[in-house]
Amino acid sequence: MNFPVLPVIKLLPAAGALVILFYPAAWKNTIRLTAVLSVGISLFLSVLLLFYYDNHAAGFQFITRIPWIETLGISYHVGVDGIGIVMLLLTAAVIFAGVFVSWSIEDLVKEHYILLLLLVTGVFGVFMTLDLLFFYLFYELSVAPMYLLIAIWGSSSKEYTKEYAAMKLTLYLTMGALIALVGLLILYATAGSVTGVYTSDILELGAAGFDPRTQIFVFPFIFLGFAVIVPMWPFHTWSPIGHAAAPAAVSMLHAGVLMKLGAFAIIRLGLGLLPVGAVKWLPFVAFICIFNIIYGGYVAMSQKDIKFIVGYSSSSHMGYVLLGLAGMSVVAMNGAVFMMFAHGIMTALLFGLIGFFYNQTHTRVVDDLGGLSKKLPFVGVAFIIGALASSGLPGTANFIAELLVILGAWKNYPIPAIAATLGIVITATYMLRAVAGIFFGPMDPKWEGLKDAVSIRERLPFVFLILILIIFGFGPGMLVDLIESAVTPLMAQLESARTVAATYSLF
Amino acid sequence: MNGESDFSLIALEAAVFLLGIAVLALDMVFRGSRPAIVRRTAITGMALLVVVSFLSGKSGAGWYGMILVDSASIFFRRIFLVAALFVFIMMSRSRDLGGRDPAEYYGLALFATVGMMFTASAANFMTLFMALELLTISFYVLVAYNRDELLGLEAGVKYLIIGTVSTAFILLGLAFVYGATGSLDFGVVASRLGEAGKTDPLLLVGAVLMLVGLGFKISAVPFHTWAPDVYQGATTPVVAFLSVGSKAAGLVLLMRLAFSVFLAIRPEWVLILSVVTVATMFYGNLGALSQTNIKRLLGYSGIAQAGYLLMGLVAATVESGSAMLYYLAGYLATNLLAFMVIVVFSRTVKGHSISSYAGLARRSPILAASLLVAMLSLAGVPPLAGFFGKFLLIDAVIKAGYTWLAVVAALNVVTALYYYLQVVKTVYVLPPAAETPIEVDTSTKAVLYACMLAILVIGVFQEPLYDAVRTAAVTLF
Repeated sequence: MNFPVLPVIKLLPAAGALVILFYPAAWKNTIRLTAVLSVGISLFLSVLLLFYYDNHAAGFQFITRIPWIETLGISYHVGVDGIGIVMLLLTAAVIFAGVFVSWSIEDLVKEHYILLLLLVTGVFGVFMTLDLLFFYLFYELSVAPMYLLIAIWGSSSKEYTKEYAAMKLTLYLTMGALIALVGLLILYATAGSVTGVYTSDILELGAAGFDPRTQIFVFPFIFLGFAVIVPMWPFHTWSPIGHAAAPAAVSMLHAGVLMKLGAFAIIRLGLGLLPVGAVKWLPFVAFICIFNIIYGGYVAMSQKDIKFIVGYSSSSHMGYVLLGLAGMSVVAMNGAVFMMFAHGIMTALLFGLIGFFYNQTHTRVVDDLGGLSKKLPFVGVAFIIGALASSGLPGTANFIAELLVILGAWKNYPIPAIAATLGIVITATYMLRAVAGIFFGPMDPKWEGLKDAVSIRERLPFVFLILILIIFGFGPGMLVDLIESAVTPLMAQLESARTVAATYSLF
Repeated sequence: MNGESDFSLIALEAAVFLLGIAVLALDMVFRGSRPAIVRRTAITGMALLVVVSFLSGKSGAGWYGMILVDSASIFFRRIFLVAALFVFIMMSRSRDLGGRDPAEYYGLALFATVGMMFTASAANFMTLFMALELLTISFYVLVAYNRDELLGLEAGVKYLIIGTVSTAFILLGLAFVYGATGSLDFGVVASRLGEAGKTDPLLLVGAVLMLVGLGFKISAVPFHTWAPDVYQGATTPVVAFLSVGSKAAGLVLLMRLAFSVFLAIRPEWVLILSVVTVATMFYGNLGALSQTNIKRLLGYSGIAQAGYLLMGLVAATVESGSAMLYYLAGYLATNLLAFMVIVVFSRTVKGHSISSYAGLARRSPILAASLLVAMLSLAGVPPLAGFFGKFLLIDAVIKAGYTWLAVVAALNVVTALYYYLQVVKTVYVLPPAAETPIEVDTSTKAVLYACMLAILVIGVFQEPLYDAVRTAAVTLF
């Protein structure tokens, strides 16, 4: 394709935001439709990428490169490999569902959609950018609007106010981003001082390589900086309260996409630029992620608020992604990326559904609910599908992802792999308990007036997400091939770094 | 050629001075009965001069080695003139003086501008001191203009006392430097320092006294204590002028001294400077956390921002110099925007407590959006001006080998994000303090849009400005 498809995918939401800026605030439906249109086209183009990407050639494709600040070696450089395409697809799908879900927002509609679309531009940007400056720029652009989105349209829970949750989330993520930024700038400065020519181009930096000592020194900056958003235990505490406070569409994006930025950045920058550093440090991560999976799962089990349950389950599930990254095999890494995709879709589905009934019940505490499937059969069924996917039921994409991670990690890390298997049981326990508590059993008569999702507009986002889960659960081949085309060279690089790493100590 | 009295080198300064005289003369002619004419003369004249400053760019040295006009001077002149123009617009909109709009208000600001412009082209300690005094004395009066209010008086007295002490530091330092080198010429002093095999302790004392004394202008520790009180007590346009114009004037002198005059003995003072830098960042950011008055908050924020800028002084490379200039350009647009909002808002609501801004988003979307952009830019959120400035500064600091300083800056940026977001929260999240909408007239809206656009352009399309500031930064060394 000669057409600069990636910049268009990314800038369409921003263009939508710009157009919305000039609408009068009262044109609520026009604003919503503009948002749907802009992300709809992005989604369509992202799907096209899936078919136009050449798996055999692999590498980065659909490249656009414009020199930006030549003196500093900074260029606007975008391109995607198999992992990038999968992530773009995830983002486009989640935001497409998200704009429909946020239809129910009536307050400051204009501002809501502007911020939402800017955030999506940032997320798209991260997944396609091949330049350090722009990577960081888009990363922060996808974090910053979160504050307002949660603080304005969110909901406070008994334990935390929405302002507190929003502030905690923003400060944690910004702190992480800045730590990573320092690491990135050290790389930029080191590479430049060696060659005499500064470049912030990720591909050029990767090709030039870094001396092993630098790699071992810088890797923790980049890993920890981005691990905050993964979220890796013990830096995960911002995440469940952030989920809980956010409005439905924002929770969807947050858990569905934003958390994947961290793992993606670790793959692209940590593993891609610093293979020796990765080989040295990742074994620790393989064990830390046990805490994510088991501890996160247990905490989820003891929660009363369904959003907290799904929130903690997210950090539990992201443990699988970390395990996949640390697993040091093609299969495990495939699993990690596939997990990012599957979990993103699944958790977006659950948060969207929770948002749907919360708008009517104004409570999310499982004990207060019960028997809702009588009044909300569609939502109930959709939620059950989501919960089963979350528990890794065969036939859903999540099953494939968990299977790949566990199989791939088994060889190098048997103990974490066993923990991951246990994690599936824990997930099934709290998810099924939540389903039973909310949708079955006796119904409180005060829920008599609840309305199910009936119109196409209300059902579309959920049906859309469920279809994705099932299509890729039965036919994961296409995505896995795509992912593998990017993972194989990365893993080869890590394998050759292993021999180098053996001669260096950590400190 | 140093002997030539090339008038074109100081034509712009002379024009500003004449505009100041014209404003006062007009007022005398009309016996104070036509403030609108005075106001329009000042604004139109300044707008013309801004245009002229962007069209002309002659550099050279002259006036017996007193004046040196290089790319850096030209860059700073433009900063000063743009700042003055926006400040005049604020003065014309402000109700801080209860509807009074005296000609001296504009006249003094014009004379202060002349002082600032001369600081940018000073090539001799004598010019430096004269320019600085012209600037500072004009500000002593401007800061105390709000004399009917207790806080205004307090601001005036504080600024006067601390300003005088810092002037004494500078003078004393100047005497030491003169004593040690026998010259007041920047070039001669620099070359003497280069020749000397070992450092003269007197000279070092002189250099440090001057650097620290100049820190008063940019509100760096230890001469920072005036900032919160003056920001709170003085009229908003004057504060805006202090926060960008006066700060830039201090900065250009600091850059000239650190990057060329005292560069040879840099290892001797860089440690003290880094301590000052770290202290300034932390003082500003920690102090700002608990503020309830928006102008005080911006006072502390101004201290913190000075701390970030000082990092560039510590690194002392062309990159860090460019970063400082870039940061300054972004800071100019951002701070002017923030103060413009305060000026417009305080026409309707008295007092400057942050809580009175509650729910501003529902009373005036444009003011709220402006404040949002200003706060996020100050916090360094992309894609706004403040972000790229900070990016360049941290990058330059790391390239110069001060990774630890970059980490300190990162900690400070996170701390700062908290209080900037508190303002954002008040404006967007809290319920409105009153239901009445706040009207903003079209011309003010245009100014707000212009600032926002500038912030965005500086933040995203960096190359033209970056290349310009780099050219300017090279001449500083």
